Amino acid sequence: MLEVKNLTKIYDDGTVALRDVSFTVEEGEFLIIIGLSGSGKSTLLRCINRLIEPTEGQIIWKGQDITAADGGELRKIRRKIGMVFQHFNLVRRSTVITNVLGGRLGYVSQWPSLLHRFPKKDRKKAMDALERLGIEDQAHKRADELSGGQQQRVGIARALMQDPEMILADEPVASLDPVLAHSILDHLEMLNQEEDMTILCSLHYLDLIQEYASRVIGLRAGRIVYRGSREQIRAMSDDEFKEIYGEEAVRVSAAQAPGERS
Amino acid sequence: MVTRSTEQDKKRSLVSAPVAAVASLILPGVGQILARRVWRGLLILGAFVSIVGLSAWRIDALAHREPTAMAKLTEAFSDHPFFVGLMIGGTILLWLVSALDAYRSAHPDQRGVFWIFILVLMLFFALGWQISEIDLYQAATGLPDTWPLFSRVMWPWDAAVTRRTETVSARAEIEVPCTDDPPEPPERDPEQPWVVAEPTCGELSDLDEENNIVPGTELNVTGGNFAPNTETQIWWEDPIGNEFRIRQEGEYITIETDDEGSFQLDVIMPYRLLPPSARGPQIHYLEARQVAEVGPLIPSEPLLLSIERMIETIFLGMMATFFGILFAIPISFLAARNLMSGSWFSMVIYYVTRAFMNIVRAIEPLIWAVIAVQWVGLGPFAGIIALTVHTIAALGKLYSEAIEGIDPGPIEAIQATGANQLQTIMYAVVPQMIPPFVSFSIYRWDINVRLSTVVGLVGGGGIGFILIQYIRLLNFRAAGIAVWFIAITVAILDYVSADIRERFV
Repeated sequence: MLEVKNLTKIYDDGTVALRDVSFTVEEGEFLIIIGLSGSGKSTLLRCINRLIEPTEGQIIWKGQDITAADGGELRKIRRKIGMVFQHFNLVRRSTVITNVLGGRLGYVSQWPSLLHRFPKKDRKKAMDALERLGIEDQAHKRADELSGGQQQRVGIARALMQDPEMILADEPVASLDPVLAHSILDHLEMLNQEEDMTILCSLHYLDLIQEYASRVIGLRAGRIVYRGSREQIRAMSDDEFKEIYGEEAVRVSAAQAPGERS
Repeated sequence: MVTRSTEQDKKRSLVSAPVAAVASLILPGVGQILARRVWRGLLILGAFVSIVGLSAWRIDALAHREPTAMAKLTEAFSDHPFFVGLMIGGTILLWLVSALDAYRSAHPDQRGVFWIFILVLMLFFALGWQISEIDLYQAATGLPDTWPLFSRVMWPWDAAVTRRTETVSARAEIEVPCTDDPPEPPERDPEQPWVVAEPTCGELSDLDEENNIVPGTELNVTGGNFAPNTETQIWWEDPIGNEFRIRQEGEYITIETDDEGSFQLDVIMPYRLLPPSARGPQIHYLEARQVAEVGPLIPSEPLLLSIERMIETIFLGMMATFFGILFAIPISFLAARNLMSGSWFSMVIYYVTRAFMNIVRAIEPLIWAVIAVQWVGLGPFAGIIALTVHTIAALGKLYSEAIEGIDPGPIEAIQATGANQLQTIMYAVVPQMIPPFVSFSIYRWDINVRLSTVVGLVGGGGIGFILIQYIRLLNFRAAGIAVWFIAITVAILDYVSADIRERFV
């Protein structure tokens, strides 16, 4: 169980990204975080694995205080939390398999890994992960030769290498075409249902949210302004949606919306 | 100049149109400034002032001997009526047009005269033509004179091979002055080349009190057993061993042997300063020499030297690149903004490093080579130092920009997997840095090999060193060989470096 207590993040330039955010996530949940760009979604996800240092508050995961963990402990925590990014964050010039093996770095011994040597079973695991996502034939291509959807699958495969108990997905489909968005979210849903991984995912499109979320929180200017269960989100009206997204928001359907580019 | 305002948002003029026109008549551009077209006004003012100033300078230069301005103008006009007339007429026209432009700029319903800037450009063009001394007549008539030089440089390969030469010579004793007992003419060995001078004694050419030449004794020279149909030179050797070729009427004496290898000619004994102590009869020698080419074709000295120096040049560029990379890598980290923006102290280091690199880079490798030659003397080491210094600054800047351009995404992603610092660098940073580093380094090697020919010109070793020597000796074939080697090497390197870079990026 993940417990976020009174989380606040104020950047050096004075921007308040999160203000007193508290919520809990049960194991096996598919929690979707919604909100405008700049509402603090990315900051929130990055605070959980401390890619961004929170200013105040606590994050407790399985009884352990992530915010208090030191370097070694933090790396042990991080390797159990996979992360998937909007822009995939692959090393574009490395091969797909090298990118995927990168997900194993928290487990292997340092010196062999610096020379790109991995145990055989890790290489097997990487191939299995690629196979599971249907891109095993791309393993030895350079990452930037793949299409956006394939790159995001590599990103998921990299997260899978960590044997994660939780996956943080920061707008995983915002750089993809609507059709691909479904397929990527289907993969996350499969992991959620078959392996009981907890998923925290930020999303924009209401129909995607309604389809995948088991619970939703809405952020606006760094504060939680909406909490909804699966049933509530299914019944969500455009007016409620507008309240979270602001007056200008229009209900956009993922099936119609053009692929959003950065 | 793009007119900044359109009809709708045109700023109201401060003065009425006629006032603006008068202001621009007093000083072009002022009217436009008053009409709140400040940039336009400043541009016209600047152009007008520089055209008047530059014209005055050039007219002064055309007639610098004349004392007064008016005399200068008349003189310059009579010599260069077209240029002077154009500048005076053009300047007056510009003046009037600027007044018209001011009037229309200030007028609420009208726009400035667009072609005033075309007029300015034309006047600058005329000035540029005159200042840079463009001479189409010379360009056309002088062109044929370049042909002998050009053809030697373009096709120098006749000088790339040579044959071993062998000197065939024979000499005859000449006594100066004559005594009662002149030397016997040498024996005519039927197997060896021989030369006989008659008489075997005489007087050298001399100067009288009025510095007129008093010709010396005329010698009748015959020779035989030389190589047939070959040019033969006549040399003179004085008693202390100085050898020189005899000239007659300014030309070296040469004679071609006949089919039997014999020749005959008359030679006036040369003028020679002898030390005052050299009195009394002395023995001089007259020598006939043939330089015969024997044996197979062999590579000539310029060819061998060019190959040698080309190899030296390539390695010079390579070593300079190597040392440059070695120093540029650490420096580039200090000059990368994203790494150094942590504290004010690191920002100071960043700015100092940047400034240092910009200054070093701004100084041409040629200048560094002059300094390095002072430092370590002539030769390739000086060239290496010069190029290394410049390479450090140039690569340091390119590397630091590559570091600044790193995508932070993969770093964040690798950190999120629980990797430690070293693993993150190895997996997320290094793969991103290798391509630009390799690419820039090879590119720089390419540049350094080219530059090493340039630093050679001032003594930095390499092929430039012999190229400038051959040019100064007017040995254009040898220079042509060097030029060809440079061109071939640069072309190959260009191709190879482009190919390697393509593979890495």
